[in-house]
Amino acid sequence: MLNYTIRRVLMLVPVLLGVSLGVFLVGALQADPTRIMLGQHATAEAVAALREELGLNDPILVQYGRYVLRLAQGDLGRSWLTHSPVSVEIKARFPHTVELTLAAMALAVVVGIVAGIISAVRQYSVADYTTMVGALLGVSMPIFWLGLMLISVFAVELRVLPVSGRLAAGVETGLRSEFYILEALFTGKWAVLWDLIKHLIMPAVALAAYSTALIARMTRSSMLEVVRQDYVRTARAKGLSERVVIYKHALKNALIPVVTVIGLQTGYLLGGAVLTETVFSWPGVGSLAVAAIQNSDYPLVQGCVLLVAAVFVFINLAVDLVYAWIDPRIHYA
Amino acid sequence: MRSKWLVALLAAALVLSLMAGCAKKQPAEAPKPPPEKILVFARGSDSVSLDPAMIVDGESAKVCNNIYDNLVRYKADSTEVEPALAESWESPDGIVWTFHLRKNVKFHDGTPFNAQAVKFNIDRQAPDVRVPDMAYADFTLGMIDKVEVIDDYTIRFTLKYPYAPFLLNLAMGLSAPICSPTAIQKYGADYGMHPVGTGPFIFERWDKEQQIVLKANPEWWGGKPKVDKLVFKVTKENAVRANELLAGEIDMMDGVDPNDVQRIQADPNVKLIQAPGMNINYMGFRVFKPPFNNQKVRQAVSMAIDRKTLVEHLYQGNSLLANGPLPPCLWGYVPELKPYDYDPEGAKALLAEAGYPNGFTMDLLCYPNPRGYNPVGGERLGEAIQADLAKVGIKVNLVSKAWKEHLAACAGTDGHAYLIGWMGDNGDPDNFLYILLHGSQSEGMNYSHYANPQVDDLLTKAQQTSNADERLALYKQAQEIIVRDAPWVFISHAMDMVAMRKNVTGFKIHPTSSIFLWNVDK
Repeated sequence: MLNYTIRRVLMLVPVLLGVSLGVFLVGALQADPTRIMLGQHATAEAVAALREELGLNDPILVQYGRYVLRLAQGDLGRSWLTHSPVSVEIKARFPHTVELTLAAMALAVVVGIVAGIISAVRQYSVADYTTMVGALLGVSMPIFWLGLMLISVFAVELRVLPVSGRLAAGVETGLRSEFYILEALFTGKWAVLWDLIKHLIMPAVALAAYSTALIARMTRSSMLEVVRQDYVRTARAKGLSERVVIYKHALKNALIPVVTVIGLQTGYLLGGAVLTETVFSWPGVGSLAVAAIQNSDYPLVQGCVLLVAAVFVFINLAVDLVYAWIDPRIHYA
Repeated sequence: MRSKWLVALLAAALVLSLMAGCAKKQPAEAPKPPPEKILVFARGSDSVSLDPAMIVDGESAKVCNNIYDNLVRYKADSTEVEPALAESWESPDGIVWTFHLRKNVKFHDGTPFNAQAVKFNIDRQAPDVRVPDMAYADFTLGMIDKVEVIDDYTIRFTLKYPYAPFLLNLAMGLSAPICSPTAIQKYGADYGMHPVGTGPFIFERWDKEQQIVLKANPEWWGGKPKVDKLVFKVTKENAVRANELLAGEIDMMDGVDPNDVQRIQADPNVKLIQAPGMNINYMGFRVFKPPFNNQKVRQAVSMAIDRKTLVEHLYQGNSLLANGPLPPCLWGYVPELKPYDYDPEGAKALLAEAGYPNGFTMDLLCYPNPRGYNPVGGERLGEAIQADLAKVGIKVNLVSKAWKEHLAACAGTDGHAYLIGWMGDNGDPDNFLYILLHGSQSEGMNYSHYANPQVDDLLTKAQQTSNADERLALYKQAQEIIVRDAPWVFISHAMDMVAMRKNVTGFKIHPTSSIFLWNVDK
């Protein structure tokens, strides 16, 4: 198991190298970055000086070599727009995305699995049809639209939740880290925590809608398959209660494909829930990436893409390890 | 099985009771209701830096306007200047300028404000020492030859040549505000995150992509601001920002979407104010190559576009029809200018005369996003133009690129015409006419490469004359020639819009689109 894990982590290197080549080329083939950085009033001398400073006059292979060397030292470069290191920008934003993703995934996993089980156990019942229609809505509703609808109902009409952002504006919170919710929780700042949770509800629901629906459908079909298998019949035959049959025997095996979906969804969301973060002005990696693309800020775009790639590799690894835990038949040497 | 339903019901009940719990509270209620008066201004994107020497964008300038003072400042509702950190000034010849500075002023970090501080700010942007990112230094301060400290409260600038808009440049939010020399030395490259000025508000905190929090400076020479705290909040989506205003979570917002105007106006708790913006939205011809090197063809295309209908339909009353390169809110605007009127038959005749009886095909460079001067975006404007020109036999291919790439394409030589616009920097006609239409600016923003020696002469003279009446006459003459030559199709001037809660008072839209908030109360 340990060997396998180490091997998988080492595989990260070629994957990231491949991604780095891709993102580097996208950046390098773009229009002159100096104009982007200096604006319309820049003089020709300033442009020339900056080109020299950035090493843009060197052959492209030399530029890539330099880029990879820096990358190996953990240096993602500096944003063309703000001039601060890309790693600092991402570090400041990633915790926001992590908190939103965890909240949305927790919601999606609980609601999705429960709905899926009910649907499967009571196939063709009213509950089943209701759940599946809900799931169909969930996968088909554009997040952007859902977000705006939530805002107009709960924030503008009913006024029970704040419209957007992470915290009420201008309030002194005393928070020091970017993991606002965790910090407020552990330092006992209950008023701040309550404000944070109110701001979290709508983005988390909007973000969870698609994943919840997917998990519900996957759980249902997987459960339906499993409950028809011989060992489940055996379990029933030996007189186990329905609860034990479903939760102890059927569910665990039915969960394997569901875990894959959960893993992939978590990976997507950790890469920045672009639309949700934009609608709710959530200061995470998704809105950072969108702004970077709009500003043609390539070092920052490259940093965000590398982050997404790394997250995916780790999540896939985690999913594979979880398989072994769920299903004793699977094991890695 | 029944117990499972029970669990599901309980879960649903829990969620509902949570919602109901929220319902009893007000949405924007703060964790600890502070006794202070907080004014929240929401906008569409965050500032890039708060070092005025390093910035080129409006969102950064907006915040800097409220932290820093300049030597002179714009009056509240015009681009005329009045004393600020300089109490008075004189210039006998338009080349040597002597400023007498305000005494007993301190930067927010306690550093005394004096002539040395002013010199430090100008010197750090001098051509031989400035870093490439100081992109506005050349435009704003490039005409300065030397700066001398006469005594602690007197400073003298000597210009390389007479430059009429000099005073206006010193009032600009980019490059000209005065920063604390101590803080610049202390923070170095990170100064932009730790701004220290002498202005009405003191920087407190910047949560990136969320908010910038400023607090009132009780010792400001202009008197303590009306609110205790000022928050610049980032809300990216226009519609969401409007929702926040309607829900009462923010006090003011800019970047009002034309689609939201109606519902904002319908709500009795909010108000919307509009003012003509200092901008121009236009289509430029590449006058250095066929077919638009022929004045008749430019005139024909100008006559083939129904500008009046187009502006009415596209902008729905939120833009004014242009009659030349200058907006009506800028001095130097000539109300009686007559650009070529809509006349498709006349256009066809002119095309035939120019040797294009069956029209021709042209590439029009455009951009997808909205701009301050064109709230519907370049593609929609391009499509409207395309439809009008099709009627006289001209086939228009729209070549649309993302904004930054579009700018680079305009600076090149591709295409036959391009859509673009300009928002004024300093409130001087020179800042439109010279930089966009002077022959010497073909490497700069005169993307048409329009060069009429007579116009060049008039514009240069106007730049170097200090008498306002003389300048006015020169600009009038230049604009008449420009409109006749038709290097552009003059389309529209977008209105600036700011929406706010009913209880917000004391705000005026400034022609430069700067946001000054020290007189605003709630």
